[in-house]
Amino acid sequence: MTNVIEAEQRSFMTGNEVVAWAALAAGAEFMYGYPITPQNEIMHYWTRLAPKFKRGFLQTEDELSAGFATLGGVMAGRKSFCATAGPGNVLMQEPISMAEMMRIPAVWFIQQRGGPSTATVIYSQQETRLTCLGGNGEGNRLVYSTASHQEVFDYAIKAFNNAWNYRFPTFVLGDGYQAKMREAVTLYDPAQRGIELHGTSRMLGRSSKQLDGQQVRHYRNTFNIEEELYETLMQHIADWDHMAEEVVEWAWEGDEEPDLLLVAHGVVSRAVYAAYEHLKSAGYNVAYFRPITLRPFPVAALQRAAGRCRQLLVAESAYGQLLSLVRDSLYGKTCAPIEGLLRPGLGITEELVVEWAQRLLARVG
Amino acid sequence: MNKKHWRIVVAGEGGQGVQLIGEILAESAFRAGKEAIYIPNFGVEQRGGVSIAMVQIAEQALGAPKFEKADILVPLSERAVERTLAYIKRDTFYIYEASAIAPPQLLDATVGIQAWETVAPEAFSLAVGSKPQAPSRPPADMGLMPDRTIGIPAAEIARAELKPRVFNIIILGAILAASGVLSLAMVQEGMLAKLGDKLRRDPELKQLNLRALDRGWAYVTEAVRRETNR
Repeated sequence: MTNVIEAEQRSFMTGNEVVAWAALAAGAEFMYGYPITPQNEIMHYWTRLAPKFKRGFLQTEDELSAGFATLGGVMAGRKSFCATAGPGNVLMQEPISMAEMMRIPAVWFIQQRGGPSTATVIYSQQETRLTCLGGNGEGNRLVYSTASHQEVFDYAIKAFNNAWNYRFPTFVLGDGYQAKMREAVTLYDPAQRGIELHGTSRMLGRSSKQLDGQQVRHYRNTFNIEEELYETLMQHIADWDHMAEEVVEWAWEGDEEPDLLLVAHGVVSRAVYAAYEHLKSAGYNVAYFRPITLRPFPVAALQRAAGRCRQLLVAESAYGQLLSLVRDSLYGKTCAPIEGLLRPGLGITEELVVEWAQRLLARVG
Repeated sequence: MNKKHWRIVVAGEGGQGVQLIGEILAESAFRAGKEAIYIPNFGVEQRGGVSIAMVQIAEQALGAPKFEKADILVPLSERAVERTLAYIKRDTFYIYEASAIAPPQLLDATVGIQAWETVAPEAFSLAVGSKPQAPSRPPADMGLMPDRTIGIPAAEIARAELKPRVFNIIILGAILAASGVLSLAMVQEGMLAKLGDKLRRDPELKQLNLRALDRGWAYVTEAVRRETNR
C-alpha cells in the first residue's frame, strides 16, 4: 500500500478533511456512503484522495444500503468505513445492530446535526444516546467522542485498530462544528509514531486452501432458540466487558474535593475546559471531567472524580443524554446535586459555562 | 499586537465575500505559527441570508469555536449591523462599510434556506432585493470607544479604483490596519496560499488582490493618522 503521509505535516483544514486523511493513514481501503450534511465533505475528500492511493468508494441508494455495504466490505476482508449524520445515523442503526450481532469490525464517523428528524444541518450532541445505544441490542459498540481536529485524526486510527482487534462496530463521534471548522492538525504516518496497524482477514469467501485447516465459521444473525441467542450474547457481553477495561478513556483535572465538578464530552468539553481554567485562575476550587469513550463509559473514573465533590454541572448540546449517563454512573456513589446546562442543538460557550458555574459556586460559598 | 486572544466576527450579505475574509485571516494566522479557528455561519444572526464568519486567533491552544463577545466586529450591511449587536463590548474594534452602495440582499421572507443547503439559483434570484442602504455604522448608543470605530467606503473604492469583486480584500486590509491582529505581510502570505491556484493561473488577479489589501490598509492607516493629529 502506498505511503499516505511521508513526513509529519502540520496542516490547517476542516474536520471532514481530517477524517478522510485519517482513514487513509489508518489503512482504510473502502468507504461506502450516502450524502448528508454536515458529513458530505468526508465523501468529497475521500473520493478525491482515494484513487491516488488505490482505495475505493461506493455511493449507494440510501443509508440502509450504505451501512450494509460497509459490513459487506468488512466481511470480504477490506478495512471499510462509513460516515453519516442525523436521520442517516437513525437509518444506519439496523446495519450497526447487525455488526454487533455478527461481530463485524466496521468503523463509522458521525457528524452530529440538530434533531429530531431533519431539524438543522448545523450542529448538536443529540446523537449521543443513538450512537451509543441505538440498536435493538445491548450497545456492544466502541464510541470515541472527539473534541479537536488532532483527536479526530488520532482516534480515527485508534478506531480502526480497536475495531479489528476486538471486533465490535466502532465510532468516531464528532459534530457539525468539528466537521466544518478549520483548525490546525498534525498529520502523521502511524508507523513513524510506533503505531502498528491491525491486519485484516476475510470473514467470507475463503477457499479451502485459504482456510488452511481453520474451521469454517458460521456468522449468525438469526437464532431459533432463546438459549442459543442468550449464550451467544453473554459471550459477546463478556468480550465487550473485557474490551471495556482495555479501551476506556477519560480526562480528569483539578481538585479532588472540588466545590464543583464540571462534566462534558466532545466539542463542548473545550468550552468547559476553558471555563475550568478560568475559574481555577480566579481562585475557585473546581475540577473537570471528560469521558473520551462514551461506550464504554468511564464509570469508575467518574466515581473517583465525583466521590468527594460538593456538586456537579453537566454541560451538553442535548437535553440530558450525557446527563443520564452521568447519573447512571454515579447512582448510590454521591449525594452531590447534579445540575444540567442543557442546550439541545445549540453551541455552548466558555462564557456561558463560567456564568452557570459561578452561580452554583455561590450556592456552596 | 500583544493581545493574546482575538475573537473576530465578520458579517454581511451572501456574495460580499465574508467567508473568504474569515478563511484568509485564519489561514494567515496558522501560517504565522499562531493558533486559529475559523467557523462559518452560526447563530440566529444568519437568518435570511446574512453570512457570518467567526475566527479566533491566539498564541495558546483555543477552546470553544463559539463565543459571546467580539474583539473585532465587521458588519458589512444594514442587516448585519442589527444581527451582530450582541457581540459588541466597549473595546470592540468596529470596522464598518461606509459606502452607500447596497449589496444585493436575500430577503428575510425567503424561508427554509440554510447556508449549507443547496439552493436552486432561481430561488436566490427571486429572493434578492436591491434597496439602497445606509453605511453599516454602529448604533450611537452602544458605548463603543470612538477611536475603535472605523468606517471605510470599500465598495466605492473597489468600484472606482479596482474591481467590485475585491471589496472583501479591501475590508481585510482595513481590519489589519485598524486592529493590528496580524501584520500585512502575514496576510499577504496567507491570502496567496489560500487563493493559490486561482492566482497562479491569473497574475493580474493576484496583483489586483494585493493592491486591494494594500488599499484597505492604507486608507485606514491614513484615517487613523489624521484622527490622532487633529
